[in-house]
Parts: sequence; structure tokens; C-alpha cells
Amino acid sequence: MSETTQEVSPVETREGTVEITLKVNGKSHRIAVEPRMLLSDVLRHELGLTGTHVGCEQGVCGACTVLVEGEPQRSCLMFAVQAEGREITTVEGLTPEAGLSPLQAAFERHHALQCGFCTPGMIVTCEALLRSGRPVTEETVREAISGNVCRCTGYQFIVDAVLDAAKEGAR
Amino acid sequence: MSEVLKPQFTGARVTRLEDARLLRGQARYVDDFEYPGTLEVAFLRSNRAAARIQSVDVTEALAVPGVKAVWTFADCPITLPDRPFQVGQPVLARDEVRFVGEPVAAVIADSRYRAEDAVEKIRVQYEPLPAVVDSRAALADQPRRVHEHRPNRFLHKTHVTDGFNEAFQSAPHHLELTFRWNRQTGVTMETRGCLALPDPVSGRLTVYAGHQSPHGLRGMLARLLKLPEHQVRVVVPEVGGGFGIKAMFYPEYVVVAEAARRLGRPVKWIGDRMESLLADAHARDAIHEVAVAYDDEGRILAVRDHVIGDTGAYAFPGFPGAVGEANWATEMLTGPYKIPHVSIEIECVFSNKAPLGPYRGVGGPIGAQVQEAIVDAVARALGKDPVEVRRANLIGPEDFPYHTPTGKVYDPGSYGESLERALALVDYERFRKDQEQWRAQGRYVGLGLCVFVEPSAMAESEAGSIPYEAVTLRMEPSGVVTAAVGTGPTGQGHETTFAQLIADQLGIDVKDVVVLHGDTDSAPFGGGTGGSRSGTIGGGAAIRAGQALRRKLTQLAAHLLEAAEEDIRLEAGKAFVAGVPARSITIRDLARTAYTDVARLPEGMQPGLEVVARYQPPGAATYSNGTHLAVVEVDVETGFVKVLDYVVVNDCGVLVNPMIVEGQIHGGVAQGIGSALLEELRYDENGQLTTTSLMDYLLPTAEDVPRMRVEHIQTPSASEGGIKGMGEGSLIAAPGAIAAAVSDALAPFGVFVTELPIRPQQIVAWVQAAKTEAQAG
Repeated sequence: MSETTQEVSPVETREGTVEITLKVNGKSHRIAVEPRMLLSDVLRHELGLTGTHVGCEQGVCGACTVLVEGEPQRSCLMFAVQAEGREITTVEGLTPEAGLSPLQAAFERHHALQCGFCTPGMIVTCEALLRSGRPVTEETVREAISGNVCRCTGYQFIVDAVLDAAKEGAR
Repeated sequence: MSEVLKPQFTGARVTRLEDARLLRGQARYVDDFEYPGTLEVAFLRSNRAAARIQSVDVTEALAVPGVKAVWTFADCPITLPDRPFQVGQPVLARDEVRFVGEPVAAVIADSRYRAEDAVEKIRVQYEPLPAVVDSRAALADQPRRVHEHRPNRFLHKTHVTDGFNEAFQSAPHHLELTFRWNRQTGVTMETRGCLALPDPVSGRLTVYAGHQSPHGLRGMLARLLKLPEHQVRVVVPEVGGGFGIKAMFYPEYVVVAEAARRLGRPVKWIGDRMESLLADAHARDAIHEVAVAYDDEGRILAVRDHVIGDTGAYAFPGFPGAVGEANWATEMLTGPYKIPHVSIEIECVFSNKAPLGPYRGVGGPIGAQVQEAIVDAVARALGKDPVEVRRANLIGPEDFPYHTPTGKVYDPGSYGESLERALALVDYERFRKDQEQWRAQGRYVGLGLCVFVEPSAMAESEAGSIPYEAVTLRMEPSGVVTAAVGTGPTGQGHETTFAQLIADQLGIDVKDVVVLHGDTDSAPFGGGTGGSRSGTIGGGAAIRAGQALRRKLTQLAAHLLEAAEEDIRLEAGKAFVAGVPARSITIRDLARTAYTDVARLPEGMQPGLEVVARYQPPGAATYSNGTHLAVVEVDVETGFVKVLDYVVVNDCGVLVNPMIVEGQIHGGVAQGIGSALLEELRYDENGQLTTTSLMDYLLPTAEDVPRMRVEHIQTPSASEGGIKGMGEGSLIAAPGAIAAAVSDALAPFGVFVTELPIRPQQIVAWVQAAKTEAQAG
């Protein structure tokens, strides 16, 4: 956690809303939200970051996974107000200005996506694995994505892509 | 193949043109479109399986801030068409609710949060009725009729081959098995949803929806809203999975579109996961009572199948799911085997469950599991190896075209070859030896086979009933080609595969072909995607359109290069004279000339480069085939099944993109593992669905699906390009292979699986019962 993070306690503002500061992909956003609003809804509909997808709102499918302080979290299980002052990273924040990140490029090479709906959650989860310094093996990749459901690919090409990206990163 | 010299892209593992936007998080699905002033809908759904609606009080709901309207059937009196069975579903329940999850009222508010607040304030008085949940009882109208005015049984048909009785009765051996396949559903990761935008100036309505058949959706909306078809524009953006579910027409779409028209505002509805599990098309839910007659060698002489299918409370327009399931399962009942006689009886009933519709493979998975279980049961009864019994029954290369006893005509395939290659991949003889040793150590490992036949590219499917597809091609002055297609991809990569086929016809780079789909304003009329029809029919149209455009480019090049048309070749972005590559012109220059330097065109040639082609394959269907082989280990203490190895040898004719085909196979196998071991929609005795979250309806994860080995055989079809459809075969074959492997693993306990999915507690109970029996004996 950064020392310079300014603690801002939620302030009651407009009827039923509170003003919070969300730090997303390195940018601060001051917004008014209802306390009951899910982080996933705020990212998508208030900040226009529609790369984060909502698949179940039951915390099961993992499509809405974002990084909170570098750790994969389900944005559908978190209220936006709980994310106040914490560093949020979405798929947009893991995407270079142009082209694809090494992990994204590996997904493309290995056909690790079909409909693409679970893909941003997969990218976020797998990027966290690659950055964690943990060993990247068939088993650890499968374990890491065991909370991300993909209905199209049968996972095999996703595993291949992550293993390939890890190998590339090690080079 | 055509006279294209070297297909550069067809057959290659071309990475997908769709991927970058999807990977970057920039692809736009329905819920990603934001229009100012959009209202959102939340539905109040029935929490009763069967009840009369005595009253609906919306007063409090209307008082919730932000609520614009609360509708019941009286406010939106539209009923989905159902000519054959007279049970059309009202878009909001009328007088009576018939399944848990049926929409009863709609709240239209300035946000989904507020709409949901208001839903909680709607007061419905129900008078409960007995729920019809058991399909056998339903056949006898017990405990009551789901629809008062008609019996529950809405379909009864039989098909008996001439000579069935003699063949059946004179056979030396018989066995009987009853199969039950429980309810399942496709579970698209993106839930269903739609967004309707009225245009007050033109009166036109634009509807964004995740759908497999853009033109089918437009037609139904226009009909129900009483608008001329051209006044409805359907836009299908990115779709997060379809699997059949999104080929159907649902009541919510009508309510949303009507609300947008009447309120003059954009209106959006995005279903949540509970709504999906309650009211997206369910699937399977059938009983097959089977009797088999066979000889000493294991040759199967005749099969009788009595099917009871439960379609739920209503029939989807054009696709009553239970009929689809039963038809496909029985029409393909003999699969790859030479079984001369069948006797089939189908009975379909209504019940107080959600409507049944298509899920990938429709009745194929059930038919394939039944067919393979028959072979395995015969093998077990005769003490023979299941592979030997398969070899004794398989249709051989000399038998094509093969006429099945159900009236299908199979085009050539590689049934025996696929089996032998799959066996070689696991070293079958060795496996059997190892298996004995493992058993001696108390490890229960089994091997299951499914030799499948997959009908594809049929004239009729859940995506509609047109037997053709269309592709329009326009080469822009820049030389880049824009193709528009009428299919409805939901992740299958049409933008890439169609571009590969077109690029090869025109000798241009695959990246210079942009494939548009989903917008009825730009796409030619098409049937959409379903029934594994897009590759064969849509791909055929892409090739034909490419050929037509190539003819024009060739004609133009011949004129400009002063050569004969038959000597012109198109390759690597150039037109050149065969054998004289220096005499060439770039395709880019040809394109520019065709539009802007028209004085140089040959006499009589129209300026521009634009064609449309429609393609209908020559046969009623083309049949893919293959063999799935699963090795599983069963923990008899916990009932847990682990898939140790999985092999697929697949034959879908000429491969356009092997990588995409393999992706389809992997995904289908994963769904098949779910179907066999995890996925079940469970209704209790009151008709309450008890599996309304993904914690209850279990999907296969990366830890449930093993590494798969896939090999290809290519037996071309007679269709353009030799392509066969293959979107469903892997889900058709996988459940049967897994079920057979579990039966094989538990053979020492006398277990033979006839009910899917297989639950751990069943395995524990079967093994316990066998042990108890052995002790008593």
C-alpha cells in the first residue's frame, strides 16, 4: 500500500449517494455512488470501463475479476465504497496503448479465447499469476484459473498461452 | 477444390481477426452500449410452478422513485405464436403462472437498482395449483393438465421399419435398459439481454441483442410488434456464447421493445444469472426405454426405443425443445452402426418447468450415449471386448452412401479409421493389461468410447429453416474487401474463417478481408448460426461469392494485361499471366481502376466490384464423425471421478482452420464432462428450481477438464470446399464416452451407468450396494 494514499472517508452527498475517490488504472476518479453499488457496476457504467464483464454476480464465474492492490478480486462481490482509496486495475490497465501485452499476444497465438466474455477476467487472473513470482506450471495455471469459468475453450489453450507467456517472460 | 492454385489460408492455423479487441477489453457486448436517457427493466418472475394469479398490486412499486412504468399482461397483451400446440406463452403471465421464473410483471425505471427495488414492492396473490413435474405422470394428465384446454401429451409419433418384429423376435439375445438424462442448460457466460432504441423521427426501432439469428429475431419482433420488417433493425454486437440458447425468441425481448416504443426512450434489460438459470432454454430431460436384439457375435439386429420428453410449460416458437431432443436422438439412434431395424415411439409432454429449447447437439448427446451404451451392454452380456463389438457393427467405407433405418443418408466418413486411431493413441491392449493390475491394487480406472456421427448443415435447425446462406462482397477502391454475412457467430470465429476462404479466392491477404455480421441493415438475409451450419453453408457462400468476384477481377486483369482470362492467376495481391509473373498488375490497382478509371474497363463491364452469392449445399445434411476416448479413475470411497486422459479423432471434412476446429472440440468436451458429471437443473416435487446459482449448477473448471489430444481425418463432403459442420460433435460424443468410462471402471461392481449426470453419491451407493450383496452372497 502506497504511503501517499490519501484516506478519504466517504461523505454523504446527493440524496442517497456518497462521494468516493476510486483509483483505477493509475487515475483518480471522484464520483458519487449509492453505497449499495457494486464495484463492477461502477467500473462499467460510471467509469465506462466495460472491459470488466459481469457473468454471475454470485462470485462464482470470475468474469468480473480485477486487481485490487495487485491481487485478483471479484468486482461483483465488492461495493464500490469498499474500494475507496485502493489501487484497482482492470483489463484496460493491463493493455498497452497499442497492440497487445505479452500475455494477450500469447492468448491470440494459442487461440485461448472464443466468445471473449470470460477473457478479461482470465487475463487479469493470469497476469497476477505471472507477476506473483510463483512457479508457472500446468498445475499452478489450472489452479490459478480454477475460479474463472470459460464455457467455450475447455481451458487447454488458455493453459498453453499462459505457459508460453511465462516462458517468454523468463527469456 | 476450385482452380485456385495454392490456398494460402484455407487449412492454415490463422490466428483470429476478432481477438485483439476481445483481449484488449474493447469488444462491445449488449450491456456495453450506453445511450443517454436509457431506462432499465427488471422482471418480477413467478416463484410458483403452478398457480392462478388472483391479483397483482403495483401501487407501491409505482411509487418507488425513478420508476416510469410497471406492466402486467394487461399493459402488454402480446402472446408468442404457437400454431401447432395452441399454448403460446403470454409475454407476461396471463391469469396463471406455469413455471418458476415465468415473467409476471415488468418494472421500467431509470436504473436496474431502482427497478429491482420496485419489483420487491409488487404484491401478487397466487392461488396454488398442483405442479406437474413428473413426465410419466404428466402423460396421464396427472396430477392435472398444465394447460386446461389440452392434454399434456402434445406429440406422439412412431417409426417402425418393415420387418422389425420378425427381426427382433427371432434374435437369439435381448436386453433392456432405461436411460434418464436430467435437465441441463447451455449457460452462456454472457447472460441474455437486449436494448431497444426508438427513433421518433422515422418510427424505426433498433434492437441490440445477443442472438444467433439476427434476421430471425427481426422477423419475430416485427410480427409481434406489428411493424413492417424494414422498420425493425436488429444489431447483434459481440455475443458472449450462444450454444443454442440465444437462437430462441424470448418474451423479454417483446416487453423491452414495446416499452421503448411506448415510452419513447431507450430501454435495456440485462438478465442476471438467476434469471438465466430459471428461464433461458433448458435442455435434455428425457427418458429412453430401450430394448435391444442381438446375435452371438454381438451384431445388433434391432433396437426399440420409447422416448418420453418433457418440454416444460411452453414450446419455444418454432422449436419445442423436447421434440428437437427426441427427434435428433432417435433419428441418429443407430449412429455409426449397421443396425437394420428400429422401432421408435416418441411422446412429449408439457410440465410446470421452464421451456425446453436447444443446447449444443440437441438430442445428439442422448442418442450417442444410448447408442454407445447399447454396444457396451451387449459386449458385457456376451463377455466380449467392447471394441470387438464395435468392429462387428460399424458401417464400413464400402457402405457409403449409407441409408439408416431412420431415413438418413450418410455421406462418406471414417468411422472405423477414427476408432482405430483413437485406440492406437492410448495403446488399447496395454491399457487393458494395466487396468487389471490397477484393479488388483484397488484403483478403478475405466476406458469409454464414443464413435459418433454428427449431422450438420441441415436445411432446418434451431436457427431457422432456410437451407442457404448469403454473402455479399465488396472490394473497395483500396483493394480491401468488405464481406457481409447472415450468420450469427457467438465466438466461433466467422470473421476469420470466412476471410480465409475469401482471401484464397482473391489472392489477397486474409487481413484485407473485413467480415461484417449481425446488423440486419448491412447483412444479407440469413438463417443465422445453429445446427453446425455456418461453416458448411456460410462457408460455401463465402467461397461462391469469392469465385464471383474473382471472375470479374480476372476479366478485368485479362483485359488490362492483354491476356486470355484462363491464363490469369490471382495470388499474393497480384494478378499475373501464368508463367510470366512479370506481366502483372496489383489487385489494388485493379480495384482502383474498377471504380475510378472506368474508361479502361472492357466494353460492357459495369464499374465497381460488388457481388452477392447464395449457397445451398447439395445434400439434406453432411455427416461429420469421429471417436472420443476417455480414461477416468473413480474413487469408490468419495464417488469422485477424475478424467485422466482424453483422445479425440475428428473428421469434419476439409479443415478451414484447424486451430478453431480444435478450440470447438476442446470446448465441447468440457461441456460434455459437465453434462456427464456435474451439471443438473434440479426441480423439487413442487416444481421449485433448486439450482439457481453457479454454486448449485456446477460448471466444469480448469481442474475438471483434462489435457486433450486431438487428431484430424479429412473426408471431404460434397459441399463447396468439402467442408462439414462440426460445432456440436464434441458435446454429442463426450458425455457418452465419459459415462462408458465410468461404467467400465465400475464393472467389477456390476455398475452400468444409465442416468446422467452421474452424481458422486450415486457412485458411492452403487459400490456399497454391490459390496453388501457380495457379502450377503
